[in-house]
Amino acid sequence: MIKEQILQAFQNKFPQKIEEFPFVGMDVAFKVESDLILEVCRFAKETPELGFDLLACLSCVDYLDHMELVYNLFSFTHKHKIAIKTSLPRDGEIDSVTPAWNAANWHEREIAELFGMTFKNHPDPRPILLPEDWNEGYPMRKDWEGKDFVRLPKK
Amino acid sequence: MVEKVGAEEFLVNMGPQHPSTHGVCRLLLKMDGEVIVDVVPYVGYLHRSMEKIAENRTYLQYMPLTDRIDYVSAMFCNHVFCMAVEKLAQIQVPERAEYIRVIMDELNRIASHLVWLGTFALDLGAITPFLYCFREREKILDLLEMVCGQRMTFNYMRFGGVSRDLLPEFIPKAKEFVQYFKPRVDEYEAILTNNPIFLGRTKGVGILDQKIAIDYSVTGPNLRATGLRWDLRKEEPYSIYDRFEFDIPAGTNSDVWDRYMVRIQEMRQANRIVEQALESIPEGEIKTKTPTVFRPPKGEVYARIESTRGEMGFYIVSDGSTIPYRVKLRTASFSNLAVLPVMSRGWKIADIVAIFASLDVIMPDVDR
Repeated sequence: MIKEQILQAFQNKFPQKIEEFPFVGMDVAFKVESDLILEVCRFAKETPELGFDLLACLSCVDYLDHMELVYNLFSFTHKHKIAIKTSLPRDGEIDSVTPAWNAANWHEREIAELFGMTFKNHPDPRPILLPEDWNEGYPMRKDWEGKDFVRLPKK
Repeated sequence: MVEKVGAEEFLVNMGPQHPSTHGVCRLLLKMDGEVIVDVVPYVGYLHRSMEKIAENRTYLQYMPLTDRIDYVSAMFCNHVFCMAVEKLAQIQVPERAEYIRVIMDELNRIASHLVWLGTFALDLGAITPFLYCFREREKILDLLEMVCGQRMTFNYMRFGGVSRDLLPEFIPKAKEFVQYFKPRVDEYEAILTNNPIFLGRTKGVGILDQKIAIDYSVTGPNLRATGLRWDLRKEEPYSIYDRFEFDIPAGTNSDVWDRYMVRIQEMRQANRIVEQALESIPEGEIKTKTPTVFRPPKGEVYARIESTRGEMGFYIVSDGSTIPYRVKLRTASFSNLAVLPVMSRGWKIADIVAIFASLDVIMPDVDR
């Protein structure tokens, strides 16, 4: 499906909730609100014309006053690609998308321990990369101070 | 899940230091006699916070660090980082540089598969193929050292091309290697493929269903062994892969033997690509000029590449300054390792070694 058709399909199902934004390398990218994310992901996976069965990348970006989660979805059958973004307050809660793709399991564990987000209904919320006795905060946040961590000046 | 241990079950620790876990990975095995009931992987022993460091280096300063994400196939990590930044900043790459990138990528693919084959056979008890594979790998590392001075972590690609041109001795030596390598793959197959001990340990072991593989975002040779003939070099051709003729091998039964056969065939196909690229490489520039103080425009980009273990992707957020705002590495081994518990329930402990080796997981790729 081409870009306009994909955007139209999402806008028909979720009216007024889809906002497009530019993203290099993807066919289409749009923002949704954080409480709709599980429904949007299920719709993206289960609709036959869209068929997004590969969750390639789940990343979190810290923008100091809010955080954004970015889901990069690809399709094996139709070969199109989209990116979905939601915006959350820091220390926020969001539904886990593990019911849609089991790949999100380990990605969400990593985001939960490095950024401090909580994923509701996650089947296995244990830390994954950091040591078990880590108590020095959430390292990937922009305002994290660790000893010996010196920031380069921005130019 | 490790709390509920039944009356006859016990926990065995396959600790971070183990000759067969291919790096520092801890597997906690819940066993009932000799049969495995559950596997819990504990990762993070090699976590070097590559993503946090990226917020503290300029784009070009980060290039040597991308080598160390997956050091066995470092050219791919360089290549995908360059692709992502070139897409964002809309930099064109000259043709000779594209040919050089493809040759380096495919030579690195052969080298990485040789490491995998040697260690996989060694885990199952076959000691001879290990030395044969490393003999061939020495020849490839000699070629790569001729190009960039390094054997394993290259720091060779730059935004807009490559950093150094090929020496005039490179192309005759590479053509000699390509002809030398063709009968070698047959040699490895002669030792392993129809060997009854090898077949007994790998045929029908560790079956991965295609739907489960797609659900867990497994990519690369593991996905091709389930039957789905998916390769990014054919589906979304990047660089100049659409000019070369090569086949995509795929398996049928999705067991350990199929994953082995897919990688053996991939070595042959990569050899084919190198042969074709060496025939038709043009003269020309090797790098377009980029400003010394490199500031890509503001925006976000996601680029992906077919690396040896699967799909490797970079998600870069740029805020218009010399330092990236956020770099997220989507590595193939992270998703491939998550499917290990599903694949190994019901097998014996000796099969876990074969299954884990057949996934071709590299720990720095998992932990970054």
